[in-house]
Amino acid sequence: MWQKDINISNTFFPISVTKPNRDGVKRMHIPDGFLDPYLCVLTYIISLVSLMWAWRGVRRTFSRSLVPVIAVSSAFVFVGQMLNFPIVYGTSGHLVGGTFLAMLLGPHAAVISMSIVLLIQAIFFADGGISTFGANIFNMAVMGGLSFYIVKLLSGYTSSPKRLSASVFTASWFSIVLGALACAIQIGVSPMFTSAGGVMVTVPAMLFWHIIIGIGEAAITTTLVSQLSRISPAVLSGLTMLRGIAYERRY
Amino acid sequence: MKGVTKAVALIILGLTVFIPFASTYPDGLEKVAESLGIEEPEPVWSGLMPDYTIHTIENPYIAKLISGLIGLVLVFSVAWGIGWATARENHD
Repeated sequence: MWQKDINISNTFFPISVTKPNRDGVKRMHIPDGFLDPYLCVLTYIISLVSLMWAWRGVRRTFSRSLVPVIAVSSAFVFVGQMLNFPIVYGTSGHLVGGTFLAMLLGPHAAVISMSIVLLIQAIFFADGGISTFGANIFNMAVMGGLSFYIVKLLSGYTSSPKRLSASVFTASWFSIVLGALACAIQIGVSPMFTSAGGVMVTVPAMLFWHIIIGIGEAAITTTLVSQLSRISPAVLSGLTMLRGIAYERRY
Repeated sequence: MKGVTKAVALIILGLTVFIPFASTYPDGLEKVAESLGIEEPEPVWSGLMPDYTIHTIENPYIAKLISGLIGLVLVFSVAWGIGWATARENHD
């Protein structure tokens, strides 16, 4: 494979090409032991508060007709996260799907849905630690839910498919990059990474990879959302919510 | 209900087709940890199907497919249950 011939050194962090190192694969989820215990507690608290916000939002807006949608889209995101796509220099990335869920379910249910996926991954597949579960919810579920508001901000409640696609693209890219930034800060301030240089090293390194991985995420999300809005727009409740707000404001 | 079956069938089809093409290279976070020389500590809990494989199954494709299907069913049912519990009866 061509990847084996490339060797690039960087002043910040050495990038050397590695062969596929395992039979299986792991995700961007933070494993147990990477984070300072205090940080684990703090991120658990932040995530619990976010989950309470999401739960209240779901109770207010969620209708029974959306139950199959949340089940199918959560299952889709689980499978999507299993399948890593290769990027450059022997590194891979995978779909996280936060913005996708937000477009299908709205921000609140998207946070709940992603948290369910992360919970099953942590319990059954040891993908993401138990102590770092709070941090992983924050970096993926909460960031994904919040990207709904980036779409809202950028799309300006437009009905133009082009502008909507551009907004979804940007929002999903940001959901990955902001999640990676949060992750980089969390690992950077933890003792495990102090000897390696702390945040000064983890932030540029994480951003470097996730700026690229984010493009993959954005391309997949935009394709999915624009195809769904063409085939069965009724499924995109998140989008309907955006337009609903626009409608209320206008009249 | 027809739509749900169709969507789930499509997801399973996607899983079956794409498993061999999925990259086994380390992902962003693993790559960073690796390049900084940080070993992942022994996990507190190693799950029932660590790394999306089942130890008793030799063939990596089958192991990943089955663990993926189990995960899919688990996520689907938990999401259905929680969705059902939260949603309002006649809310639209």
